[in-house]
Amino acid sequence: MTISRRHFLSGAGALGMSGTGLLTTSLASMPALAADTSGYKALVCVFLFGGMDSYDTVIPYDQPSYDAFASMRSTLMSQYESANNPRTPDTLLRLTPSNAAELGGREFGLPREMAGMHAAFQSGNAAIVANVGPLLEPTDRAAIIAGTARLPRQLFSHNDQASTWMSSQPEGAQYGWGGRFADAALASNANASPTFTAMSASGNAVWLSGDNTRQYQLSLDGPPQVTALQYPPYLGVPSMELASVIEAHFRNQGVTSANLFEQDVTNAMRRALDANAQYGDALDEVGEIQTQFPQGYFAAQLRAVAQSISLRTVLGASRQIFFVGIGGLDTHSAQARELPEIQLELDTAITAFMNAMGEIGAQNDVTLFTASDFGRSLTINGDGTDHGWGGHQFVLGGAVNGGQIYGQMPEYGFEHAQDSGQGRLIPTTSVEQFAAPLGRWFGLTESELAVALPGLSNFTGGPAFV
Amino acid sequence: MANPRPSSGLSVFHVLKVGLLCIALAACGGGGGGGGGGSGAMPPGGGSGGGGSGGGGATPPPPTTPPPVGQEQLEEASHFLNQATFGADFDAVEGLAYSSPSIWFRTQLEEAPTLHLDALYAAGIRNDFESFRAASDSFWGAIISGDDQLRQRMVYALSQILVISEGSESQLAGRPLTTAHYMDVLTEHAFGNYRDLLEEVTYSPAMAVYLTYLYNRREDPATGRVPDENYARELMQLFTIGLVELRQDGSVITDNEGRPVETYDNMDVTGLARVFTGLGLNGPNFWWTDDVEDAQYSRLIIFDEQHSSSEKRFLGTVIPPGTGAEASIDAALDAIFAHPNLAPFLSRQLIQRFTTSHPTPGYINRVADTFDAGRYSLPDGTSVGTGDRGDLAATLAAILFDPEARRGPDETENTYGKVREPVLRFTHWARAFNVDGTQAWREDFLWDTSSSGSLGQHPFRSRSVFNFYRPGYVAPGTATGAAGLTAPELQIVNEASVIGFTNFLTAFVTDSTWGDNRTDTLGFHPNYANEMAIADDVDALIDRLDIVFTYGGLTDTTRARMRELLNAIEITAEEAEERRRGRVQAGVLMIMTSPEYTVLR
Repeated sequence: MTISRRHFLSGAGALGMSGTGLLTTSLASMPALAADTSGYKALVCVFLFGGMDSYDTVIPYDQPSYDAFASMRSTLMSQYESANNPRTPDTLLRLTPSNAAELGGREFGLPREMAGMHAAFQSGNAAIVANVGPLLEPTDRAAIIAGTARLPRQLFSHNDQASTWMSSQPEGAQYGWGGRFADAALASNANASPTFTAMSASGNAVWLSGDNTRQYQLSLDGPPQVTALQYPPYLGVPSMELASVIEAHFRNQGVTSANLFEQDVTNAMRRALDANAQYGDALDEVGEIQTQFPQGYFAAQLRAVAQSISLRTVLGASRQIFFVGIGGLDTHSAQARELPEIQLELDTAITAFMNAMGEIGAQNDVTLFTASDFGRSLTINGDGTDHGWGGHQFVLGGAVNGGQIYGQMPEYGFEHAQDSGQGRLIPTTSVEQFAAPLGRWFGLTESELAVALPGLSNFTGGPAFV
Repeated sequence: MANPRPSSGLSVFHVLKVGLLCIALAACGGGGGGGGGGSGAMPPGGGSGGGGSGGGGATPPPPTTPPPVGQEQLEEASHFLNQATFGADFDAVEGLAYSSPSIWFRTQLEEAPTLHLDALYAAGIRNDFESFRAASDSFWGAIISGDDQLRQRMVYALSQILVISEGSESQLAGRPLTTAHYMDVLTEHAFGNYRDLLEEVTYSPAMAVYLTYLYNRREDPATGRVPDENYARELMQLFTIGLVELRQDGSVITDNEGRPVETYDNMDVTGLARVFTGLGLNGPNFWWTDDVEDAQYSRLIIFDEQHSSSEKRFLGTVIPPGTGAEASIDAALDAIFAHPNLAPFLSRQLIQRFTTSHPTPGYINRVADTFDAGRYSLPDGTSVGTGDRGDLAATLAAILFDPEARRGPDETENTYGKVREPVLRFTHWARAFNVDGTQAWREDFLWDTSSSGSLGQHPFRSRSVFNFYRPGYVAPGTATGAAGLTAPELQIVNEASVIGFTNFLTAFVTDSTWGDNRTDTLGFHPNYANEMAIADDVDALIDRLDIVFTYGGLTDTTRARMRELLNAIEITAEEAEERRRGRVQAGVLMIMTSPEYTVLR
């Protein structure tokens, strides 16, 4: 069995072994084949857990379309009224995309809770990509009814579709396209260490995992240190000198086990101690960002990401990927009450994040995009909506060719070519097509992109939003 | 392959049971040999005493002056209790070492259930935000101080499959009595039949709120309204059959292109969704919401006028038009319960909650066969279960007494075991040192342990119906991941949570948590008296901790470090008690953060 690339690179990164030199040389001599790692670039994935209702986010605005939509969802619309969250045309924030001509006279608006995203769109710093979702190949309603369509596995299942979005595989996947992007950057020595290449503020996410890329967990209030090491007298240990024994214990120094689970927990603790210490030092050196973020778990995650990006120079990173998540979008019920709250939370936190990027001079170097398990049904079930498939996504940042709606805005109706039933949209842009421009912007070559997005070759073209 | 009898792996326990009978009867001669012919040492005073069958229902003997048991018996007893309880103290380990797991198991089946709703109501708790912690506090009490440990472990396991959440983002937040009612449903049926449990869950207000089928109405073509699909989908995906067809050993059935065969499609979901219409709170009308009449914590009732009268078609079952809600729900649950996926799907997940994260096909097959047969023969020859398919007591026995579960830690495969859940590690500390779990309300640290700076999980408060972690989670970039092993608990292991747990534990171990409601005697104060009594002898202290926490599996490396540190804490004349306490605290913290403890195997 040959040594794995992971061990090869992680050892090399720390020690500058001769192997690294070989790798670097070979890559440097073939620059056209290696990822561009000049400057600084970061991708931030905002995952909308539960399946965001795109119909209720990018809302028809021209009168005929709005009227048709409102009549299809009349019960829900009246619930919006009684919840004091009206979705009437006068409350919607009208979008004026520069590619309006491609939309066939149709107009769209955002709910009033999304004023920050609306402003970003209007000023050219945000784009909307229509009807994105997992696909194996382009397909439509007729092919599905005929049974000839090749379809992704386990459609409509939350965890599997979230995993498929991140990795093209259902639950249990080992690699995500974010992690593959980072692999390419690491192979071109983008970062001083792999440790701070992929970071999550929202738990373990397969999108961040690559061959050589492992996620680091950002703590919302700074990297945690072991209290027992800081205050050994707590334990009745008479002297700080003995802290080295406790530290050796926590580091699992000299511990070897053939059991794979024990190996994993041992490595997790070692990695945590090293990475948290290094991250804490960087934080001490750079200091806290000043931009104010709103309250709440989601905003705190984005603040942690912004703080982390502020450390990019000290951590020696030129390419990074980040993952944050917001929950509660599985609006089977009480949609009129709950969805506006979440949209407001989403909007204000993202707006603060973009402001923070301005504060640290990274507004053109950071591209944020949304993703979600799926969109939802156009049909309502009383006071909510059910699991769908394709959905509209947002992309924000100074590098984005904003102010446009990319892809194909579907009909807001039933039994059209992209309706898989009850308005559950068959995507017209695959996740791979959505990811590809992000990868190119991140610096990947076409061959690296093909490795990161193996399904991409089944599609032609795609939205060039960045 | 029905009702395996893994007796060869349990010879020591056979011997011990015989030993117990001898003690109980006080009539054994010296004798030797006998028993199951295994390698286990005979406890002194044990004998070959004949009448080894029977013996049902006996309780462990009073520990007056029993003869000492050997190290191996203590280790095996501790190993069993580490898997089957929320943690055991040394006395409980010793008690089981004199008894037998078969007797212990049967005794536990008879133990009175610790319930929640009536006690909370009597204490003045109501469904309001002021009381939002009440169900949680009550559950901490049950799992830490309840005598029905095996039942509570099953409740906790089931709560991670039939998931509801009263977390802050849930509609159940601030409805402690609704959650308590659901806890009681799981508790009352923990050793019952899974079909009955599914029905009570379906009719529970907590599940109806959580998966949004309360007030779910039949379709209305005039407005385009269709039934809410939420429960129909998750009932199949998460609670019963899963997404792909399984063999009895849990392996996935694939088509001729190698793709897994899916168990249902969206038509099945929309068809089944019609079944769960017309359920409402137990009040005078469908839209009743008042909790004064206990409706929010009583079994749901049916309002047939709101129930879909259409045909309901799913999983090859057709419920004819005009069938009422009760008959439709019965038929639907029967059809789902009859699905061949149910036994392997549920068995694998239950195994993961108790013994190992990636059970072998053989293990799953044996447990699934027991689920189907509804009966299991314990090592002492007595039988558990009704003989009806879906018997959970028999299924649990098959999990705990399987040869793969009962191997000692030194003999196990490198792929065997599981990362202990942080909640279980914490309760183990509390139970090992006799903390009064009913005082959880006094302990601010336990109000919410969901964050990664704490335990990273809180019972009945997962962030979604997908639990704290997924049964199919394979951790990227790890040794288990490279080997393709599912490792659910690794989904909540990261740079924040491993440190968070260590610090959480340190605060409790050193008795330095805080909270306005703590007093000098009430709160989560550990009782280290038994350990301090032997703390002058560091090796004796370590040996005792090794039995309780690592069932004799402490590595030389960890032992050497513990010895070094504990010996450095000198017992001085002036501060003898404090130094003894320091030795215990340091020893407990070190052993409970060692890899050999963190992974149960």
